[in-house]
Amino acid sequence: MNKTQFNKFVEYLLKKDNVFAPQRNVEGKLIIGPLKNAKDLYLGAELPLDSWKWYMIPPYQKMFDYKGDKMIETLPEANKQIFLGVSILDMQALTLLNQIFEQDPYYQEIKKKTIIIGTSHVPEDNFSEYFAEFEENKLEHLQFDIFLAVLGNDFKLYTGSEDGQRFLDDFGYKNYKHIEYAGPIREEGLDPQMVSVMDGMQNYHDQKIWDDLGKRCIQCGKCTIACPTCFCFRIFDKAHLQRGTGERDRCWDTCFYNEFTQTAGVAPDAPKHKMMNTTAQKIYFWYEHHFVRTPATFSLPGCVECGRCTRACPADIDVFQTQRDILAARTKGKKK
Amino acid sequence: MINDYQTYNSKILKIENEGSESKTFTLSLSYPDFSFEPGQYVMVSLPGFGESPISLTSYFNEKKFIQLTIRKVGILTSAIHELKKGDMIGIRGPYGNSFPIGIAKGKNVLIVAGGIAIEPVRPIILDAVNNPGKYKKVFIFYGCRDESALIYKKEYPAWQKVCDLSLALDNPTTKKFTKGVVTALFDVKDIPADSIAYVCGPPVMYKFVLAKMMEKGFNPENIYVSLERHMDCGQGICQHCAIGTKYVCKDGPIFSYAELMNFKTWLSAI
Repeated sequence: MNKTQFNKFVEYLLKKDNVFAPQRNVEGKLIIGPLKNAKDLYLGAELPLDSWKWYMIPPYQKMFDYKGDKMIETLPEANKQIFLGVSILDMQALTLLNQIFEQDPYYQEIKKKTIIIGTSHVPEDNFSEYFAEFEENKLEHLQFDIFLAVLGNDFKLYTGSEDGQRFLDDFGYKNYKHIEYAGPIREEGLDPQMVSVMDGMQNYHDQKIWDDLGKRCIQCGKCTIACPTCFCFRIFDKAHLQRGTGERDRCWDTCFYNEFTQTAGVAPDAPKHKMMNTTAQKIYFWYEHHFVRTPATFSLPGCVECGRCTRACPADIDVFQTQRDILAARTKGKKK
Repeated sequence: MINDYQTYNSKILKIENEGSESKTFTLSLSYPDFSFEPGQYVMVSLPGFGESPISLTSYFNEKKFIQLTIRKVGILTSAIHELKKGDMIGIRGPYGNSFPIGIAKGKNVLIVAGGIAIEPVRPIILDAVNNPGKYKKVFIFYGCRDESALIYKKEYPAWQKVCDLSLALDNPTTKKFTKGVVTALFDVKDIPADSIAYVCGPPVMYKFVLAKMMEKGFNPENIYVSLERHMDCGQGICQHCAIGTKYVCKDGPIFSYAELMNFKTWLSAI
């Protein structure tokens, strides 16, 4: 697909449904937002500040309405939406979220109305290097609808779902290849880097790494908001003004906040057990979630190496450097 | 699509005071084929007051009602304490794994509990009471702050027909009780070290009780521990209850001590 055809395709998408895409805001920062004009679309190696999770698992979501003692399910009123220009790294993140929320009716309600159009663009300082070079066979382990592989000034097109095929057929473009999703695990087995970092954390624990991070981290929780694979949530009730009515909602939570592991509540003499009491414990928990628990549960990396957390961190904590430190501790431990 | 967050209403059939701070609620089944295993829990909620995980405490073969013992410690539990007979409580679940009681058949059993945490092990005690001879000998070590905090007090005579019940209080007023925390009971009474043990208590209790049990020669694989954690989803998604690679809500709340030894972070994070 050449530039002219692609521009026509974007115009076609804009007419069809709501399109969300990376674009510059008034400050020149790259954000994801509703695309109004085809010329505002940014397709390139830079990753937007936010991730696509804002649209898949909104920060604040109603789950139920209640009236008296009746809980009435309220699914999100999702419109059809198109995510245009999703980096292959973010596709990996969305593939993971699809696994995690496979039984979640709220997520699925949004997912079934969403078309994902990915690109092979990755930032230059991508730590994993797996996606640095695009190869066709990498696509069968990602969930998407349409994929734009960058070839100089043109795109080579792939589809990953019937929805994607239908879209291109209706647009009148036939020169695409279909890739059938083959599950998250690659033929060559688990991602070697994921396995090494996991092994480092589990078997070559170096307390110094976590004590140092604990001294620097200010527990602001920005990394959890920036991260495309942080999805912790809490469930709470909100009463309405009319007596006996209200809603049960969920919102993003962050493991850096004190209440995250606190049991029991506000009664003055309530036993407030907390499992995580120091900053080092909290940041360890965050790394454990991404680099140990997620790989162990889903055989997928819990970190797509997008570097958003590093970009957001006011204390300059570098997720790539921490991984290097974990791997160094592992190498040192193995020598012993 | 099935919504696992949907609660079902259970009617309160009976409310009994348990000690000074807790109440036992007898509830109708939230749906007709509701059944559970000992050690499992339900997410309990009241519209407007949120949700909380509470262990099922009734006999698991009882098919007409379920029981929950709830201590008043927060917003939700305070609101539940205001409820009257005939009111509704929202229930979803049961969730989690259960105490493996099959392996204890014909063997000695030791139950160790502290305070309100006797709640999740009560189904096992009731199983022993309802099936005398199923287990070889059942020992119960129960520790509490003071006499007024003891729960299920009315049932002790029935328990004692089948079980050997020892009580420890911080400040006992009579000789009936051993002074000190539940650990003190291990020095008063000799328990066969090949017993299958079911343990539940506040985090601080585990450290000392498990150390004591190791000292007495128990096998970590025969010690089953029920853990308490902050939980929101009950399905291994929301991350609040995670330890190492496991979720207390889904993979637990029951873990063998041998299994827990693999996790650096189970008793307190790193």
